[in-house]
Amino acid sequence: MLEGILPDKIFLPIKNRVGFGALNEIRLRADKPVLLSCMGQKFFLNDEGKSRNLSGAIYATASMIEEIIFRASECSIYSVNEQIKKGYIATPNGIRIGIGGNMIEEAGQVKTMTGFSSVNIRIPHEVKNCSLKAYSSIVKEDGVYSTLIISPPGAGKTTFLRDFVCQLSERNLAFNVLVLDERGELNIGKGLGNFSDIISFASKKIGFENGIRSLAPNIIVTDELSEWEDVEAVKFACNSGVRIIASTHSDSIESFLKKAAFRELIDEKVFSRYVVLSMREGPGTLEGIYDENFSRLMRW
Amino acid sequence: MKWIILAALFIACVTVGYVFSIKYKRRVQFYSALILFAQKLDVEINFSRERLKKLIEGMDEKTKKSLFGLDKNFLSYLEGTEELSEEKLFKNCPLLKSEEKEMVFLFFKSLGRSDVLGQTKEIQNFLKRFDDSLSKCAAENKKYGSLCFKLGIIAGLFAIVILI
Repeated sequence: MLEGILPDKIFLPIKNRVGFGALNEIRLRADKPVLLSCMGQKFFLNDEGKSRNLSGAIYATASMIEEIIFRASECSIYSVNEQIKKGYIATPNGIRIGIGGNMIEEAGQVKTMTGFSSVNIRIPHEVKNCSLKAYSSIVKEDGVYSTLIISPPGAGKTTFLRDFVCQLSERNLAFNVLVLDERGELNIGKGLGNFSDIISFASKKIGFENGIRSLAPNIIVTDELSEWEDVEAVKFACNSGVRIIASTHSDSIESFLKKAAFRELIDEKVFSRYVVLSMREGPGTLEGIYDENFSRLMRW
Repeated sequence: MKWIILAALFIACVTVGYVFSIKYKRRVQFYSALILFAQKLDVEINFSRERLKKLIEGMDEKTKKSLFGLDKNFLSYLEGTEELSEEKLFKNCPLLKSEEKEMVFLFFKSLGRSDVLGQTKEIQNFLKRFDDSLSKCAAENKKYGSLCFKLGIIAGLFAIVILI
């Protein structure tokens, strides 16, 4: 999975001693021990595998981090500069590598990033049927409710969305689904069902506008709404009669309600369903489903 | 028998002269190909932003041949996980002097390591240096290339005259 990207010193203990099944994240910081995140728990990486003990931990170096970014870009950093400007690289198999370093700005625009000092490698997982509990609350006879998935980072939003798209296909609901995969995380190379079109690496604004014009979707699925521009794109899609299934970062429904960027969407009841996920019992724990008035429909 | 030995001696001298002269010609070919290679990278990186591996694989055979295996050695570095070293890059390419090897090595080492603007500027800087090297090699080829071949013939004839 990360062969050819991670140096052998890190790749081999992970492959042979830890395994990728339960691994969610690998964090490398220059001159600091390598950290693994497995099912919400943090561990140090050593030659024997994972450990909570710092002694014997493998340390990352700045050159190691630079090499990882070089390899992840298929040895062509210039070809992924637009992603680097946003602080990440997405590999073809859906692994997202978040990057820390020096942002070079000019006239308020990020030009590039240099002096890479840390990487956060997020391992995607396909958890089959993880969206089934919420499925019947989102899908209705003649379509779907526009739905926002709310969860803190790493709690399974992307995995949920990916499975939801596959479920739509498997259940033969022949909606035209447009997956707008801005960061290359949703499509991890295994396809996303029979009725989905995929636009990758486009911003929400461009992806929504072009997708609606050219692909005539019934449903648009997208990850991580965060900015005003994303909210405008969602409004544009809703006004075009398209249903939206999207996700956003937030600890809880209460903290989501405080987000100023979403005020208009909440007031106009653009989303009819809110699905809240947490890490309480591991990534993907379903906390509740709410309607457009924030009345709880289901509790677990 | 005597004439056969003399003929063999003459051929040997001419061959040595030819080997020395062809080295100068090959250096010219090498730098011409390297310039073409760098120019193609410059344009393609700016225009298509295609990955290095594809760009190198897509080079024409004539250019590849004149790079004396550098493209293949660099590709195997891109496909592997080991660091790029002068020894690996210049395997099967004995044409260059040590300071030239250093320059070409730095060029290959810089590929793929920065954004479009940085990468194309770097390539253009190297292109100027390669142009200078090509001019030097062309002058050397003109001066010493044919000289070596002629010296080989003269040495062969001289040996025959002495032995007769």
